[in-house]
Amino acid sequence: MEPKFNLNRQPVSDEEINSKKDFGELIKQFKKQSIEKARTDENFFKNKKVTYSTIIAGVAVLCTVTYFAVFNQESSKKIAHEKTFTKPLNSKPVSGNKSYISPPVSKLNIPYSTYRVKTEKGATIMHKNSSKITIPKNAFIDKKGNNIVGDVEIKFREFHNQADIIVSGIPMIYDSAGVQSQFESAGMIDIKGYQNNEPVYIKPDKKITVEFISEQTADRYNMYFLDTIAKNWVYIGKDNSLDKYRKTENSQQNTSFIEQERNLTSKKIIELENKIQEIPNKIEKVDSYFNEKITQLPKITIPNKPIEGKNSIPKFELDIEEKDFPELACFKNIVFEVGSENKNYNPKIGDITWSSAEISHGPIKGKNYWLTLKLKNNIEKLIVYPVFTGINYTKALNLYEAKFDEYQKLILKRETEEKRLKTELENKKLALINTQNQLSEELVREKVKISKQKQFKLDEDFKKLSKAEKITRTFEINKFGIHNSDCATELPKNSTLHAFFVTDNNKLSLKTQIVYLICHDKNLVYTLPNGPIPYNTNETYSLCVLANNKLYICDKTTFAAIIAKQSNKIPVKEITDEVSDAIELKKAIGI
Amino acid sequence: MLLDAVHMEFSPRYHHTADMLLEEQMIIESAKQNPEYFGAIYDKYYKPIFGYIYQRMDCKETAFDLTAQVFLKALTNLEKYEYKGVPFASWLYRIAHSELMQLFRTQKNLRTVNADIGDLKHICEEAEEEYMEQYKGSLMTVIKQLPEEQLQLIELRFFEKRPFKEIAEIMDLTETNAKVKLSRILERVKILLTKTSK
Repeated sequence: MEPKFNLNRQPVSDEEINSKKDFGELIKQFKKQSIEKARTDENFFKNKKVTYSTIIAGVAVLCTVTYFAVFNQESSKKIAHEKTFTKPLNSKPVSGNKSYISPPVSKLNIPYSTYRVKTEKGATIMHKNSSKITIPKNAFIDKKGNNIVGDVEIKFREFHNQADIIVSGIPMIYDSAGVQSQFESAGMIDIKGYQNNEPVYIKPDKKITVEFISEQTADRYNMYFLDTIAKNWVYIGKDNSLDKYRKTENSQQNTSFIEQERNLTSKKIIELENKIQEIPNKIEKVDSYFNEKITQLPKITIPNKPIEGKNSIPKFELDIEEKDFPELACFKNIVFEVGSENKNYNPKIGDITWSSAEISHGPIKGKNYWLTLKLKNNIEKLIVYPVFTGINYTKALNLYEAKFDEYQKLILKRETEEKRLKTELENKKLALINTQNQLSEELVREKVKISKQKQFKLDEDFKKLSKAEKITRTFEINKFGIHNSDCATELPKNSTLHAFFVTDNNKLSLKTQIVYLICHDKNLVYTLPNGPIPYNTNETYSLCVLANNKLYICDKTTFAAIIAKQSNKIPVKEITDEVSDAIELKKAIGI
Repeated sequence: MLLDAVHMEFSPRYHHTADMLLEEQMIIESAKQNPEYFGAIYDKYYKPIFGYIYQRMDCKETAFDLTAQVFLKALTNLEKYEYKGVPFASWLYRIAHSELMQLFRTQKNLRTVNADIGDLKHICEEAEEEYMEQYKGSLMTVIKQLPEEQLQLIELRFFEKRPFKEIAEIMDLTETNAKVKLSRILERVKILLTKTSK
C-alpha cells in the first residue's frame, strides 16, 4: 500500500507541542513499568527448579540453626548479650524523629544553649540573640503528670534565616488537607526541658513565653508547632506579635542617630580640609610674587661692540637723539655706513642735499637702522650701520671695553640676585608643601579617629537598632518542641529546570540527595527531592545541594546565568572547611 | 551533483560541540542513576522527536502517543545506551524509526509523506532538472513508491533538511554511504523526470 502524499500541510504550533509534554507522566509510566518488571522477575521463583533449590537451601539453613542451637548454646548467649547491649545505640539512628528532622551536615547544625532554671522560682532567660524566655513558677511536670521540683535544664536554639533552616534539617513543608506548600519563615525556635536527662513537660495551665527577635518585619505570618509524630506542622494561630511601639521608638532613635553622626564630623577636620585647600593658592601666590620680583630685576643690555667703517663704503653723518637710541648714547662721532643689503644704492644719493634725514631702528634691532631721506616727493630708504672711523674707532673701542666690564659685573650681580630669589621661592614652596603634607597626615589621622568613633557609635547604635528595628514575635508555648512563625507559600510556577550538578571542574556529576532552592527575596528555602527545579523568573535564587553527605553551593549569580543560558548543567562548589557553622554558611551562600 | 554545496537548514537541536556532547553524556550517566535527570533530555528532544514522527504520519494524537512511547523506551533501556561520540538524539531517532516501522507494519494506512512544493523543487534542482508543474504528480508518485529506506533518505534530506552527517548518524550509515545512496535515488528521479517531459 502506497503512503498518502500531503503537500504543504499546516505545521503544529510550539504551544500545542509543549502542551503535550509531560515529564511527570513519563516518570510515572517508567516507575509503573519498573514495578511490573520486578513482579515478572518474581515469577521466576515460581518455576520448579527454583522451588526445589529453595526447599533444599531452606533445609540446609534449618539444620545449621538447629546445630548451633543444640551444640553451641554458650556462643548464642554471647550473641544475645551483645544484642541487648547494643540495642539502644542501634535504635537511635532509626528513631522516627531523627529521620524526620535530618540535618544535612551535623557539624553545621545550630547548637542548643542550655540554661538551668529553678522550677519553684521560675526564670527570665535572656538568650544570646536577645530573645527573652519567661518561665513561670512551677511550670513543669514529668511524664506521669507529677509536679517537678528542683532544677530543670532548658535547651534552646533559634533559626532566623535560610542558612539556619538548611543546617537544621527541619522540614519546612506544610501539608494542609493534602495540599503541600513551603514555609516562608519569620523565625523558628526549638525549646526543650530536661531533669536528670529525662524530658519534662509544661503544665497544661502554664505557658512559657518566648519573645523572639525576628528579622522579618512583614505581617503575614502564622504560628505553627512541629508535630514530629504526625510529621506535619500544626497550625496554632495568627502571629500577633508586631511591635509597633518599638518601630516608632526606633524611628526616633534613627533620627537621633543621624544627628549624632553629623556632630561626629569634627570641626578639626573641616579646619584641616580648609587649610589644605588653601595651600595650592598660597604656593601660587608665592610663585607669582617671586617671579614678579625676578622680572623686576634691572635689565642689563650688552654693549654693542663698535665697528670700524670701511673707506670704500659711503657713510652719512647724522645727529641722533640719545634718548631714542641709548645703545649709541655713550659713543661720539658715529657715522652711518650704507649696508650691503641696499643693492640698488645709487652713489648720487650722497650728492643730494636732502630736506630731512630720519633714523629709526632697523631690521636687526641694536645692530642696524633705517635711514629715511626725503626731498620733496623723493624718498629714499636705506639700511645703515653705525660705525666709527679713525681715532673715533679707537676711542669707541676703549669705551666699549670699559662698558663691557661693567656689564659683566652687573650680569653677575643680577644672576646672584635672581638665584637668591629663586632659592627663596623654592624654600617657601617647600615649606608650604611640607605644611600641606603634615596637614594631610593630620587629616587622615583625624578621619581614622572619627571613623573609629563612628564605627563604635554605629556598632553601639546598631546593637540598639537591631533589637528595636526587628520585630518581637511572641511564642506562647505549652509544649516543648519546635515552634515557627511562618506563612505557607506555593512552589514557584513560572519555569522548571531539569538540572544536573557538576563540581566546578565540570567533570564530576553529582548524585544529589537534597536540593535546597534558596529564595533571596524572601526568607524561604524550598527543599526539593531530585527532579526538576521550579523557579519564578522574577525572583533571585541560589542553590545548596547535598551530595555524598557534603554541601555544595551554586551562588545566585551563577544560577541566574544558568537560567539565562537555559543550560541544565549547574556548576557547584563544595563548601570549604572554613564553613563551620550556619553563620559561615550564610556568608558562603551570600544571604 | 552538488550535494555538498547545497545549502541545508542548520539543525541547532542536533548539532553539538564537544562540550555539549560531554554535558549531554553527563546528564545521561546521571539519568542512569536517577531517572529524574532524564528531564533535561526530554525537554531538549521532545519537539524534534515529535517532529520526526509527525513528519511521517497524519494523525497528531498518534504522533504524540508515539513520542511518549519513544521516550519511555529510551528511559527504560537507558542502561543499555552506550555513548558513541554522537548526540543522544541519533539513538532517539532510531528508536522513533523503529517504533514507526512497527506501527506501519500493522497499520500501513497511517504512513504519510509530507512535503512542501519548495521541497519538490529542491529535489529537481538536485537532480539537475528544472522544476515544472507537470513534474509534481510524477515526483509524488515516484517518492511514494520508493522503498522505505530510500524514502527515509529523501525525507531526512529534502523534507527535514538535515545535513548528511546527521542523516548518517540517524540511519547508522557512513556519510559517504548516505551520499551515494541519495545520488542513486536522484538518478532514478532524473530519468523519470526526463521521461515525463517527453
